[in-house]
Amino acid sequence: MPHSLAVESHHFAALGTNCSLFAADRSRGDLLEGEIWIRRLGARLTRFSADSELSQLNAAAGGWFGIGEELEAVLRASLNAFEMSAGLVNIAVLPSMIAIGYTRPLSEGVSVATLDAARPLRALPDVLSVRRGAARVADGSALDLGGIAKGWMADRLCESLGPNALANVGGDLRAAGAGPDGKGWPVAVAGTTLMLRGQGAATSSVRRRRWGEAHHLIDPRSGLPARTGLEEVSVVAAGGFEAEIAAKTALLLGPELAPVYCAAHAFAWSLGAADDD
Amino acid sequence: MRAVLLKTGATVLTFATTVTAAVYVTSHLKNPAAPLRPTVLSAPGSATFSAPGGSLTVGPSVQPSAVQPVTSTYAS
Repeated sequence: MPHSLAVESHHFAALGTNCSLFAADRSRGDLLEGEIWIRRLGARLTRFSADSELSQLNAAAGGWFGIGEELEAVLRASLNAFEMSAGLVNIAVLPSMIAIGYTRPLSEGVSVATLDAARPLRALPDVLSVRRGAARVADGSALDLGGIAKGWMADRLCESLGPNALANVGGDLRAAGAGPDGKGWPVAVAGTTLMLRGQGAATSSVRRRRWGEAHHLIDPRSGLPARTGLEEVSVVAAGGFEAEIAAKTALLLGPELAPVYCAAHAFAWSLGAADDD
Repeated sequence: MRAVLLKTGATVLTFATTVTAAVYVTSHLKNPAAPLRPTVLSAPGSATFSAPGGSLTVGPSVQPSAVQPVTSTYAS
């Protein structure tokens, strides 16, 4: 019977959500460094600050703009996400977010919606170009990294915390190693505990961050809040980033296609339909 | 005479290749009974059961447990 390892944990609020870090045989200082990394990177990747690296890239639309290593990596991952999801995960969603009134953190309220301004999204590779140290956003387009950044950060942070660690960034998480008892990291997915080893999990939902008839998850085919018959999807996949993409794609595919998609892209999945409580 | 023989040989070879290819293609039609969905759907070891707010399907590479979770995935 394996002995339980000493696991250090750290919980904090960042990115407008809650984060948790766990690591075996690591000091609290290591976890605090992880928090600092999330805060610094989050400040660079947010769309809610005009000074952020992402906002400056959006403001420079039409021309090349110098970017840091992390943003370059996230943008390349976003292009991969577009391909993985057959175009359903598209970070060029900011014009639609603004059209539905999601112009600032929801804690500060929403703006007046101008739904007539919403348009189907252009294919991401047509509006985003990335080269070493620089990126270009097409005129009229703008980026919002959303959950992609959380999944990507969870994967990177988990790697940095060592071979036996778990990083949960706002519900997108990555678990590496055998966990504290050698059986994996116990993680609640849709109310059930699953033991994750070298896997990630994420949840996409329209049950939160919604106001009136609107919510934050845009269907790129319409440019409007998605209405697919699914309201919440949780997925266990190879990593936090992959889980985030799979969960969002499944939700956008709807109840008929989501099980088929998840069977091919996920290790476990929960589908919450619109009429489920 | 030699040129005529070469042309005739090339024509016969072309004709034979065409016929052979046509016979092969018509005898290897796509199997209309081929499954349209990934076989993983019926993979042994996966189980679906009801969960709060929907259903949960767990594949063989993920083990459910009664252990208290240290954290959870959620929408934020």
